[in-house]
Amino acid sequence: MGLAEVIVLGSIIGGIWALVASGFSLVFGVARILNFAHGTYFALGAYVAVVLNSALKNFMSDCFSLILSIILSIFIVGFIGVAVYKVCIRPVKMYGVMIILVTLAIALLFEEILLTTFRDTPISVPFPLSGVVSIAGVPVPYTRLVALVVAILVIALLDRFINATRTGKEILATSQDSEAAMLVGIDVERIYVIVTFVSAALAALAGILYSQIYAVNPQTAIRVLIYAFAIVILGGLGSVRGSIIAAFIIGFMQVAVSIALEARWSEIAAMLAIIAILIVRPRGLMGVE
Amino acid sequence: MHVRIDAKYLAAAIIAVLVALPFTASTSLLYMLGLAFIFVVYAVSWDIVAGYTGQVNLGHTVFIGIGAYTTALLNTSRLGIELSAPVWLTILAGGVNALSFGLVIGIICLRLRGYYLALVTAILPLIFIQIANVYSGVFGGYEGFSVGLGKSLATDLKLRYYIALLFMLISIAAMYIVVKSKIGIKLRAVRDDEELAEAVGIDVVKYKLIAFCISAFFAGLAGAMTVHYRLTVGVDLFDIPLMLAIVLGVIIGGIGTFYGAIVGGFAIYIAKNWFFRIIAESLAVPVSDDFLLYLLLIALIIKAPEGIVNRVKAFLSSKTTKQ
Repeated sequence: MGLAEVIVLGSIIGGIWALVASGFSLVFGVARILNFAHGTYFALGAYVAVVLNSALKNFMSDCFSLILSIILSIFIVGFIGVAVYKVCIRPVKMYGVMIILVTLAIALLFEEILLTTFRDTPISVPFPLSGVVSIAGVPVPYTRLVALVVAILVIALLDRFINATRTGKEILATSQDSEAAMLVGIDVERIYVIVTFVSAALAALAGILYSQIYAVNPQTAIRVLIYAFAIVILGGLGSVRGSIIAAFIIGFMQVAVSIALEARWSEIAAMLAIIAILIVRPRGLMGVE
Repeated sequence: MHVRIDAKYLAAAIIAVLVALPFTASTSLLYMLGLAFIFVVYAVSWDIVAGYTGQVNLGHTVFIGIGAYTTALLNTSRLGIELSAPVWLTILAGGVNALSFGLVIGIICLRLRGYYLALVTAILPLIFIQIANVYSGVFGGYEGFSVGLGKSLATDLKLRYYIALLFMLISIAAMYIVVKSKIGIKLRAVRDDEELAEAVGIDVVKYKLIAFCISAFFAGLAGAMTVHYRLTVGVDLFDIPLMLAIVLGVIIGGIGTFYGAIVGGFAIYIAKNWFFRIIAESLAVPVSDDFLLYLLLIALIIKAPEGIVNRVKAFLSSKTTKQ
């Protein structure tokens, strides 16, 4: 108990937060979009997967329909992210503050839609395996173990994608200087679309993994933002690697607070952490201008 | 476009109509109008910071909520103390308490620029909602609690309406004096060019903080007034939908124009609580008034990001120059 529990359980939730925050940070770093609807993609991922799964399992085996609906959900939410970008964000892109307001309104709009369609009963994406393994004396259910493995794999893939592919290098170039990137012949608009897709898809995956462990309800969209903000402020706006490190720090902190006090205190603790960090370093740990 | 209506006469005419209204209007309309007056103070006080210093404070509802809960707790025995102070004094206490929070939040947040300020202020209300939920024994959880009929501004609805109207007029006048004073000019200098303002010797941080405190004080007062007008307090006074409605009102009216916040705030409150409710009920699909409000907000931001009034002004001036 104690330290081992904080490290094991903290890395699991930290892995999920890393998926959420890296996408949030990527979009800000590349396109300077502060997307308050990011938590919505998280919640939508779980909802779309659940709806698809309940429809698809009439036609195929349970396990196959689950995997198919999870993959489909990630793509659908990715495309929703692109649609939101094209319809709502691009027209106001030169007014920084308006991006915040329009994405906040989109987040509340989707919350209303989810509330009227599904009520506020929490939902969970089903998980086919049941069982527990023991890691360093801490019992870990398979759901959480799979979540951690998937999260680490996807983050590693994201890191390779950004740092080792041609598109990734174009993304990096755009994030450093979008005008210079345009001058050397990079289609900046295409990069923005790719980045919004990746970001929304990562959030959807995180939402699916999260809902397999805990549960998601319409209000989750906004609550997730608190953690996403805490992480990007800690890691620095726009720094993807900083966000990944910060996600695990926040994950450890969250578990430690839940053990020491109660789970409902962890959001307040995250907020106090943000304020403490900003007093010391107003630009976060590894922030960009 | 040379038909100029003197603003003074227009304002006097509107006030005259509002004063005469209780003699003809229904009680439900009066009740809603009173709340709309208080909402106007929310909007104008937000515009003081957003429109006059250019700082986007997305946590304005923190001040409203703090003002509201301060007076509500002072008027009930939920804190374990029985205080028999007059209601107007506890409302003032709500404003002062919001001001002190404004000072602390301002000192921390105003060092941050642009995006970081918006991020941090946006989560502040969520934290207060969480605290209200954790200590639900004191704060009444998500639902809040009632302060009791005896703590009403006035038991007669007409009188309550007049108190709300008077409160709005006095608050607007006070904030107008600030905006037109030397402080207001310096605030606008800070908004237009921070470095230039600093170069000509304006203490930028000090003036931002002054604007923040004025804004917090009036928001706190208005939050406290709301409690004694509708007799309940709840986390809705902290919540994001209220924040968005305030922002929407100011954007519709035109940010940083002062009268824009008054007109826009009033219009959006009436639209949300009256027209949208009627439309939502008449539609076949189950949508709420909030849903329509968010749709309108998104459409407005996409079509006219710099404020409808400014858009109309630009349109008119382009017409007149062509002639």
